[in-house]
Amino acid sequence: LKSLLRWSFIGLLISSILVFLGGCGFKDIEKRFFVVSIGVDLAEDGPKKYLISLKLAIPAVNDKPSEFIIVSQEADTITEAVRIIKTKVDKEIDFGHAKVIVFGNDIVNQNMPPNLYYWFTRRRDIQKIAWVTIGKPNALAVLKVKPKFEEHPSNALFLSLGGEGSETAYLMSEFLFDMKKKFKEKGLDPILPIIEAKKDIFIINTVGLFNKKRMKLRLGPEETKLLNYFTKNGRKGAVQVTQDKKTFLIDVQKVKIKYKIYTLKGKTPFIKVTADLTGRIEEANFPVENDRISSYERAAEHIFSKELKKLLVKIQKADVDPIGFGLRYRAHHFNKDDWENWTRIYPEIDFKVQAKVQIEDTGLIE
Amino acid sequence: MFINMLVNVIIFVPKTLIEYRYDGAIMGILLSIPIGLLLSFLYSKAFSKFPGQGLPDLLADSKHHRLKLLHLASIQVLWFSAGLITLLGFIDILSRFINPEAPKLVILSIYLAAICLIIQLPTKKVMDFLEIVLVLNAPLITFIIFKMFTSNYLNWDSILEVGTHIFEWPNLQTTAAATYVFSGYTNIIIFNRLFKEKVKSRNFIVVLVLGLFNLFTTFFIPIGFHGADGTQEYLYPWITTADSLRLVFSPIERVIFLFLMLYMSISLMSVVVHWHVALELIKGTFKDAKNKKKNRMVVILFVVMSVAGVLFINSTLLIKLTVFWFIFRFGSEIIVVVLTFLWSRRRTA
Repeated sequence: LKSLLRWSFIGLLISSILVFLGGCGFKDIEKRFFVVSIGVDLAEDGPKKYLISLKLAIPAVNDKPSEFIIVSQEADTITEAVRIIKTKVDKEIDFGHAKVIVFGNDIVNQNMPPNLYYWFTRRRDIQKIAWVTIGKPNALAVLKVKPKFEEHPSNALFLSLGGEGSETAYLMSEFLFDMKKKFKEKGLDPILPIIEAKKDIFIINTVGLFNKKRMKLRLGPEETKLLNYFTKNGRKGAVQVTQDKKTFLIDVQKVKIKYKIYTLKGKTPFIKVTADLTGRIEEANFPVENDRISSYERAAEHIFSKELKKLLVKIQKADVDPIGFGLRYRAHHFNKDDWENWTRIYPEIDFKVQAKVQIEDTGLIE
Repeated sequence: MFINMLVNVIIFVPKTLIEYRYDGAIMGILLSIPIGLLLSFLYSKAFSKFPGQGLPDLLADSKHHRLKLLHLASIQVLWFSAGLITLLGFIDILSRFINPEAPKLVILSIYLAAICLIIQLPTKKVMDFLEIVLVLNAPLITFIIFKMFTSNYLNWDSILEVGTHIFEWPNLQTTAAATYVFSGYTNIIIFNRLFKEKVKSRNFIVVLVLGLFNLFTTFFIPIGFHGADGTQEYLYPWITTADSLRLVFSPIERVIFLFLMLYMSISLMSVVVHWHVALELIKGTFKDAKNKKKNRMVVILFVVMSVAGVLFINSTLLIKLTVFWFIFRFGSEIIVVVLTFLWSRRRTA
């Protein structure tokens, strides 16, 4: 026991010394600048390629709304830009709270070199759960927006992208790790939400679809909503049904889309998509009759499946695969040349969409 | 014994398995289950003949002193290096993710201070300590794994895509890595001193289920999160996966810090168990086991070796070394187990 005591004493002594030593490694919080969002743009007519902007939060002083500064630097690489930006500020730059990464619209419309997104995943201090977005007209403009209702810098973006604040079906947020996966995974292509910067408000209701190199297709709000139904994170929206000048809207309670790929010999391969939608009527420009609900359902099914098919064909024509049909095909086939087969099949594959709409009730009004 | 399973979730086993995900990793996993179970069954069968005795006690009255020395020494090296690899790997992770500014040696010395203290305790106390750590950590780890399985970002198609490569021939690297998960049973050579009863066959079913679940979790969750084609790009797939999970309503949104905190104690315990066994084995080779001076010399040797390891081995080299070590361990484990089993059959208790 005596030796044990002595050992533990020595151990304590060593560790207490080490605790003090370890303190040197840390920088105090008032000697750090926290980056809240990062913007990557093409440099405008300069010798350098990119314009990197960091939005730094200035810690709030009592009862004052918090402020931020944006430091930008033109450089050929992100690393170089960050190093130069460090010389422009007096405190150490900390990426631990960088939660939004914005790529400028121009940068995604041309072939993106992989280092642009690998830099973020390679850095150990950038969260893999940072959201990646496209900024319109450019990333810097998005960073500059300061909504009046925002309490902390970039907090408005965090809330809407995270879906904790407003919940909308027109937004498909994307995490950094998920984007990197989709850039690499054969048969599943990235989708990034597009943030439009208005004077002091954001509009996020469109998405850009990528192939493995660049943005190929931009979906409008309605198409974004439909595409969102395919993902599990999809939130509910409303479906508009118009037939013979009669229009009604279904508030979607639940939607579930399944798909299966059929490649039968001698037939053109097709993807069977079944969509189950449950909802209630929210608005109509005609008197709604309860005993005709099933005919409303038929009409809704017809329109919904037509819209879905139109979207799928549009995506197929752009030769992108954001839903992951290709990956599904690979996952269900044991051949070595799955992927080669699929690249041959996909351009000519047929979509058979079957929607099933169930209107639960007509709201509080009969 | 399950600590081996737990600690291997994160560092090297998944890295090796994911590296060969299209080239027989799944078959390797499937193959490792019967191998691992058979070996652990044989070994515990051999030792259940001698309840309450560890390997050094059994060999104490051996006439072939040289042979005994060789036997014990080879196992010691194996155990010590097992602990060392875990230690080096985790030190690397810590210095990367917690405090990159602090020198690795500082982190190492904090660890070593704790380790040196614990490994010299009696076996019973080490066991108790292990249990406490497990009880504290296991529920939270189960929770994290549950959250991962239910995450929307876990892509089952990616998992299935890797699953379609099931008919590839297994290779040595993956089988060796996968069986390492099961090799916690070998600690029985010292911990048998505490076991008065025989190991029940029910326990093997538990080991089977846990091992199966563990291997598939460790292999498939990173693949589900980071894709069939992209996962191998990460240096530590599991740490990155923990960083990819978002707990919206927890005090800390990023799971990585919770995960690292849990694994700090688990990896500590893993190193402690390995080094405790190694130390006890070395004690067994001394003529007078109570010699304190010699024990202290051994501990100092451990410290020196790990300091040297931190100084000279970087993470890329460590991963390469580990694969060789897995294979080496796999081979020697089979030899040791089979020989011990045969020997124990001949010897009457």
